[in-house]
Amino acid sequence: MDGSWLLWALLAFPAAAALGCLAARTARLALLVASAAGASWALLAAAVAVAAIFGEPVSAGAGWLYLDALSGFHLGVLGLVFGAGSLYAWGYFRRELAAGQFAAGAARRFGALWSGSAAAMALVLASNNLGLMWVGVEATTLLTAFLICAHVNPLSLEAMWKYLVVCSVGVAFAFVGTLLVAASARGLGVEPAETLLWTRLAGSAGRLDPAAMKLAFVFLVVGYGTKAGLAPMHSWLPDAHSQAPAPVSALFSGFMLSAALYCVMRCLPLVEGATGNAGWGRSLLVALGLVSVLAAAAFTVFQTDGKRLLAYSSVEHLGVIALGLGLGGLGAFAALWHTLNHSISKSLAFFSVGRLGQLHGTHDLEKLGGALRRSPVWGAGLLGAMLALIGVAPFAIFMSEFQVLRAAAEAGEADPWQYLTMALFLLGLGIVFVGVLRQAIAVAWGGPAEGDKEADGADGGRERPALVDALLVFGGLALVLLLGLWLPAPLSEAIGRAAAILGGRP
Amino acid sequence: MELNWRPLIPPAAAFLLSPLLLGVINRTKALFAGRRGQPLLQLYFDIFKLLRKGATYSRTTTWVFRAGPVVGLAAVMAALALVPLGGLAATMPFAGDLLLFAYLLCLMRFFTVLAALDTGSAFEGMGASREVLFSALAEPALFLALAALARHSGSLSLSGMISGVGPGSWLTQGPALALVAAALGVVVLAENARIPVDDPNTHLELTMIHEVMVLDHGGPDLAFILYGSALKLWALLALLAGLVVPVRTGSAAADAAAAVGGMLLLAVGIGIVESSMARLRMTRVPKLLVGALALAALALVLVLRGGGRP
Amino acid sequence: MNGSLPIEAVLVLLVITDLLLLGSSRFRTCIRVVAVQGLALGLLPVLLHGAEAPARAWGLAGASMLLKGAVFPLLLLRVLRDTGARREVEPYVGYTLSILGGVGALVFSLWVGSRLELPGTALTGSSLMVPAGLATLLIGLFLIASRRNALSQVLGYIVVENGIYTFGVALVGGVPMLVELGVLMDAFVAVFIMSIAAYHISREFDHIEVDRLDRLRG
Repeated sequence: MDGSWLLWALLAFPAAAALGCLAARTARLALLVASAAGASWALLAAAVAVAAIFGEPVSAGAGWLYLDALSGFHLGVLGLVFGAGSLYAWGYFRRELAAGQFAAGAARRFGALWSGSAAAMALVLASNNLGLMWVGVEATTLLTAFLICAHVNPLSLEAMWKYLVVCSVGVAFAFVGTLLVAASARGLGVEPAETLLWTRLAGSAGRLDPAAMKLAFVFLVVGYGTKAGLAPMHSWLPDAHSQAPAPVSALFSGFMLSAALYCVMRCLPLVEGATGNAGWGRSLLVALGLVSVLAAAAFTVFQTDGKRLLAYSSVEHLGVIALGLGLGGLGAFAALWHTLNHSISKSLAFFSVGRLGQLHGTHDLEKLGGALRRSPVWGAGLLGAMLALIGVAPFAIFMSEFQVLRAAAEAGEADPWQYLTMALFLLGLGIVFVGVLRQAIAVAWGGPAEGDKEADGADGGRERPALVDALLVFGGLALVLLLGLWLPAPLSEAIGRAAAILGGRP
Repeated sequence: MELNWRPLIPPAAAFLLSPLLLGVINRTKALFAGRRGQPLLQLYFDIFKLLRKGATYSRTTTWVFRAGPVVGLAAVMAALALVPLGGLAATMPFAGDLLLFAYLLCLMRFFTVLAALDTGSAFEGMGASREVLFSALAEPALFLALAALARHSGSLSLSGMISGVGPGSWLTQGPALALVAAALGVVVLAENARIPVDDPNTHLELTMIHEVMVLDHGGPDLAFILYGSALKLWALLALLAGLVVPVRTGSAAADAAAAVGGMLLLAVGIGIVESSMARLRMTRVPKLLVGALALAALALVLVLRGGGRP
Repeated sequence: MNGSLPIEAVLVLLVITDLLLLGSSRFRTCIRVVAVQGLALGLLPVLLHGAEAPARAWGLAGASMLLKGAVFPLLLLRVLRDTGARREVEPYVGYTLSILGGVGALVFSLWVGSRLELPGTALTGSSLMVPAGLATLLIGLFLIASRRNALSQVLGYIVVENGIYTFGVALVGGVPMLVELGVLMDAFVAVFIMSIAAYHISREFDHIEVDRLDRLRG
């Protein structure tokens, strides 16, 4: 295989960067290495993604590593989020370095884990073996756990512990599911070493044992769904997101959740093939998606902590993606597109709220009031991202949610019950819209509480933003807006190819 | 007409040899403690001595107090008619006699408890309450263990169950039988007031269970009680020995000898347990008994599942 | 069925150690019981293949026994010593009720095991394997949910892993070697990280009782 070295490079580069961070002498150097390596790795990931989507699927390591359009598309999203996050992390932690709040040891640890988590997520995407994919997901849990408490304090430790226990146990369920997949493949008569290769399974999905595959899918959805923060299993998510440093929150919401859902996507064609494409697995995803959207909607209404609000919004959006997947057809396309849109908007939102929090010492939305006046760049970023996230019209999320709605309507023609799905989906979106819009207006134009004005001045509330910050914010906003107005043909083609793997159509 | 004496061997052995078991236990304990200990036949001497004495009765007690030891002894003697000795069937085996067996032991306990309550003493009431609580927990374990054996041998009488256990069954159903034996072992210790549950030698009323209930009995009544306890120990140990010493030669003498030998070994085992363990705290005892219950349940499950297979 | 007897013995030991865990109140006992469980489970792949076990089965057995029988217990005992955690496990649910719950879980698992028509389970050892694995999984989850100490949750996690391991051996008789090693590696790192986390928590809070970690809500 000519392109196989690309996959190895993709995995080896962040691992090397992690070692580099560990060897760095000062905190500053460690962060610089992590940031620069992250940004350049993003370019590599983008290149590999393009090669995988538009060329032949890339494969390496005796078929154990494999990158097709679906994983390539996700790799592109990962590159985008991780590159932006690395650039942002440098700016974010630079202030703390200057204030002496970030010791060299902590910085080395952060840099190494940050780079290492990129390798783990890339492994999830690049592995063709379902077992190896599981190993990758578990590795992301373990590597990112200490990222949550980059600043060790009681609250972050509490969040980290919950994350560690809930996700480890949840993902253990996914392993049971993986074993059941292997059991259902007994009848295929493949070599034991190849039992779990996705390409082998997908090629003969119709001959998998249906009963075992159904059970497997339930375990897989519960397991990976926990990691993806789908609703009944989302308990760790708001805590972890609110306590992690902003770049880490952005990486969590922007990609780690999607990576877990990607694992479900991989298994969806298998269960659908085994059960004769009767929509059994899809209906499970529809139900979970709806529950997530509605539960998240209920929680967003009364949420005043900015990062928790965004965390619940992630539950909602992952629910939308699951719903789109479940509806199938047009929905699969919409779900993938929504993955991209959500990743961009949510990373941007976390970047903004993180910096605002740093400047004003709080993430409470009421106390951040008037952010647009006090720090124009980040205030604009937060307002824009929040508007995009609730689906205000020209932004891309509006378009992808509209596509999900269309998919529901289409499904409703075949099965009238799907109109109920559509109605509940609209209800959830409506609640989120009203609830978050109220907060967004208060944050952007409201006045800060009386007592906070002096504190504001003391902390240099009107800091001059750096060029790279402005680029991140306005570039991100422009991207979300642009994608909403005009979907470029190559991107549409890429999403279409990825959706075709899920049995969808553009 | 020739008398068939074989069915009479198990109860006869029990009546004659049961006090010996306690002697063996006490000798073992003495050995571990580095003492010479009392003679093996001490309990025989005690019983004869007590039988020759008169009894005193408190004015507050009624006929219930006097009936307690007699009914207790009668119940356990009747129960022994149902207990096999190794491969030797019992005197009167019938399908379902395990229920009668359990309820005769229950009757014995019931009258002991009534007699204890009849004295109106606070200590004896306390002992009675504990006895009832622990036996309520031990009984399900006994029943589940017997049910597992019944399922294994396909027989509903104690004799059928025990004779159904041969060397072959340990090879096919080893884990399940080991679990049954463990559960029965705990039941034996609990039912006979042995050490992890109760200390037969304690002199502190607050920690007593069984001993405190019989404090007010004397003379022949106490002799009946001591003899009854020995018989009860024999009855339960006979079941356990039948299970763990699966010698089934068909010759009455050899089988009986093997079973009695097994019981003596088990008595030594009890002595070792008593020497090496401390009595459990009262609040921990239910945990032990529920543990035995769990083991018996697990055994039953294993046997049930195994029964479905060829 | 003579060959399956050692396997059954291991499985019975597995269930008994589960019940012991539910019933014992001391951390040291619990850690030792988990170690015994790990050692017993390590034998499974070898027993399954009989005398002509391939080298990889031996390798896996060795790695798993070393990890679960020696490394985990030593690590946890060290954490126990360094954090000065209380020596009692302090469950929400009483020990007696826990044991009964464990029996309930076992019966439920047997029922599920008998209902479940999995392809190929007849090939691997004993029909008790799936129920025993499932029961261990459930009891592990129960341990995590019902104990208020961080260390108990780590123990519960190991028990869940053991259950899945049994389940896996029953279902497929072994997934590819690399995956097995990856899983073991993950379990190791997870336990390691959880121990470090528990250590941090004890330093920051002066206790490792997770029910008192309740400041994040809403």
